[in-house]
Amino acid sequence: MKKATALWIAACMAAGLMTGTAAADETEKKNFVFGDTTFNAENEEANINPHEAYCGWACLRYGVGETLFKIQDDSTLAPWLAEGYELVDENTWKITMKEGVCFSNGKPCDAQAVKASLEHLIEVHDRARGDLKIASMEAEGNVLTIVTESTNPTLLNYLSEAYGCVIDMEEGITEDGMVVGTGPYVAVELVTDDHLNLVKNENYWADEVKVDEVTVRTISNGDTLALALQSGEIDAAYGMAYASYPLFENDAYTFTGIQTSRSFYCQMNFQSEIIQDDAVRKAIAMGIDKEGFVGVLLNGYGYVGKGAFPETFPFGGQNVDTQTYDPEGAMAVLEEAGWVDTDGDGIREKDGVELEIKWLTYPSRQELPLLAESAQASLKAIGINMIPNVTADHNSIWKDPTQWDVYAAANVNCGLGDPMNFFSTHCLDASTKNRGQYHNDRVEELAAEMYSTFDSDERAALTIEMQQELLDDNAFIFCSFLRMSMISKASVTGLTAHTCDFYELTSDLDIE
Amino acid sequence: MKRYVMKRLLQLIPILLAITFLSYGMMRMAGSDVVEQKMENTNASVSQDVIDAARAELGLDQPFLVQYGVWLSRLLRGDMGTSYVSRKPVFSTFVGKLPATLLLTVVSILLTILVSIPLGILAAVKQNKVTDYIVRCFSFIGNSLPNFFVSLLLMYLFSIRLGWFPVISQGITMKSVALPAMTLAIAMSSKYLRQVRAAILDELSKDYVTGARARGVRFSVTMLRSVLKASLVTIVTLLTLSIGSLLGGTAIVESIFMWDGVGKLAVDAINMRDYPMIQAYVMWMAIIYVFVNLVTDLSYHCLDPRIRLGGMEP
Repeated sequence: MKKATALWIAACMAAGLMTGTAAADETEKKNFVFGDTTFNAENEEANINPHEAYCGWACLRYGVGETLFKIQDDSTLAPWLAEGYELVDENTWKITMKEGVCFSNGKPCDAQAVKASLEHLIEVHDRARGDLKIASMEAEGNVLTIVTESTNPTLLNYLSEAYGCVIDMEEGITEDGMVVGTGPYVAVELVTDDHLNLVKNENYWADEVKVDEVTVRTISNGDTLALALQSGEIDAAYGMAYASYPLFENDAYTFTGIQTSRSFYCQMNFQSEIIQDDAVRKAIAMGIDKEGFVGVLLNGYGYVGKGAFPETFPFGGQNVDTQTYDPEGAMAVLEEAGWVDTDGDGIREKDGVELEIKWLTYPSRQELPLLAESAQASLKAIGINMIPNVTADHNSIWKDPTQWDVYAAANVNCGLGDPMNFFSTHCLDASTKNRGQYHNDRVEELAAEMYSTFDSDERAALTIEMQQELLDDNAFIFCSFLRMSMISKASVTGLTAHTCDFYELTSDLDIE
Repeated sequence: MKRYVMKRLLQLIPILLAITFLSYGMMRMAGSDVVEQKMENTNASVSQDVIDAARAELGLDQPFLVQYGVWLSRLLRGDMGTSYVSRKPVFSTFVGKLPATLLLTVVSILLTILVSIPLGILAAVKQNKVTDYIVRCFSFIGNSLPNFFVSLLLMYLFSIRLGWFPVISQGITMKSVALPAMTLAIAMSSKYLRQVRAAILDELSKDYVTGARARGVRFSVTMLRSVLKASLVTIVTLLTLSIGSLLGGTAIVESIFMWDGVGKLAVDAINMRDYPMIQAYVMWMAIIYVFVNLVTDLSYHCLDPRIRLGGMEP
């Protein structure tokens, strides 16, 4: 009997020991949970297949895929999977791959693998095909030669776009949109609009990955995101509402933030009679209190805008002159142009017409309704009656030029490190987002020159001149730039915000 | 009874046709489509050719009647189409969300029953006494608080202060369903306990209750065997209507708790003008309401055989 009891106790102790060891192994594993408001199908990120819609953002952000080049915080490009490049002639690029790069399944990622990935991309992705303008490719060892259909000075920038993540096409793309990349993490489970589970890439070519398992949780509600971080269910959060920031301004949490090129700007409608008046545009530019907007309404979590690009860029706002907040000066400008308050109601008139501005914007960016509030107050002070229209239906409204005078929006003006995209989409006769039909001959000339200029210094000079033209015409007002922030528990290290917010979860990530 | 049920089920066909036609038309009148919504959400700057190609690929360049006809003919062949947003089959996506919605419905209805019926009876029995005032006071407070606010309060109390339940859903588990179900149950119980109180008071004022009391029948017996049974028709009506609305999803609660049900799916589909998904949701809602009303009518007849089904003999 005693023997049986002793055996039973010994068995229990052994089982306990084994369980304990297993538990210890479990606790040694580093698990990281990341809450993100943007990872969802609504944002065209239903999965992590970079060759579909905007899913490449998830592939790149969460460290599954990597691109040939990487956009640095000063907007310049640095080699990533590539070792370097050579521009053979205006249409021929030779890109050399780094030695030893491999996919997470251990297969080498050489020029042939990159070629296969790019071939599939341009076959299925209209936007990429249009951006890259690839006519043909040849792979030999570690050298990939790309010939473009026409001169494309921004080819390397577009190859750094999230769709440019190199994926193993031999492995293919699963029905769920899962891919095998070269990044520090391997995707193992995806439920659209809910979560993505990743594990450490044991074959990572560049570095030792410190975190064993990562879960990216889609959390669309800002309050829930804040409460989940407070309760400890997530280790870090992206997309927190400004109002929740004070909850985390203490030693238990770490903020990582950086100025991005996402600008909150106003676009003038040149088809509107009142906006065609130079004095009115100038007065609006002088009448918006950008400092007040950023300091008070954004709680300081932003940067006052000057030009179209942040001052951290070589062609940024430090190189241009623009109107500053000057209510007295704005009133004088209006006075001189004949806009006077004759009936004493605080709003100016000219030839019997009230100085009334229809301000169109949308609510999906939390800063835009705040900008409308701020502008309404400061413009009222100089005698302009601003009527805000904050609506999700703005896309159909701006098409009718009689429905708006000023359109306020958010845009990533230099997402790929090259400024041309902003001008080509917003400021030229052929631009799809030149909503106010702005035209400037000089800007058109400079843009044409830009399309065939490869030298980065020359491109910067052209960019500065084009911005100055826009600002001299008061065709655009760049109010502020977003400070992109991520908040994490203090125990999390290596989570760093970048100007280009493609890069979030990297091999630097660690939990102490 | 069989004839009656068959008749009601056959009524579903014209209802579904009318309702899907109307919803299709209304979405078209909303003035935007999925291609535009995607461009806005992603800040995309693409050429008109790419936009036109995307519209043509989805058939959005076709006239309204053609689009509806194509959708309907596919449906008749058992194909509910593919989501414009996730590019996954609508049927499997929608069905995949149903377990979460069903669990939330069942748990919140059970909680509602457990709270509202005893408290409603208590308030009626203790009419105009302190207990009644306290119960009614809680009912007022519960009715006045919007769901999102209750959600945040519960999260703060039970997740952050006490650490009992998760803030964000960890899958379809009882632990994860607790807070969303409590949120819904607080709102519904606050409303229903007043209705239960009124129904019970109405019965208590009837002569048979006075007669029973005069004959010395114990109050609890009268209450359980007569009053409660007679009040059940009102209570069942309320509960079945709530079941219908809960099965249609509760978008705000679902998105706050990241509860992956059909309500959030529907709101996202509407925001993105994802027509095939919206149509699936509209059909689901129509089917739910027809079934729920049918079950309610049948339960009336069971509870009170004097009630006839659609003027027919069962």
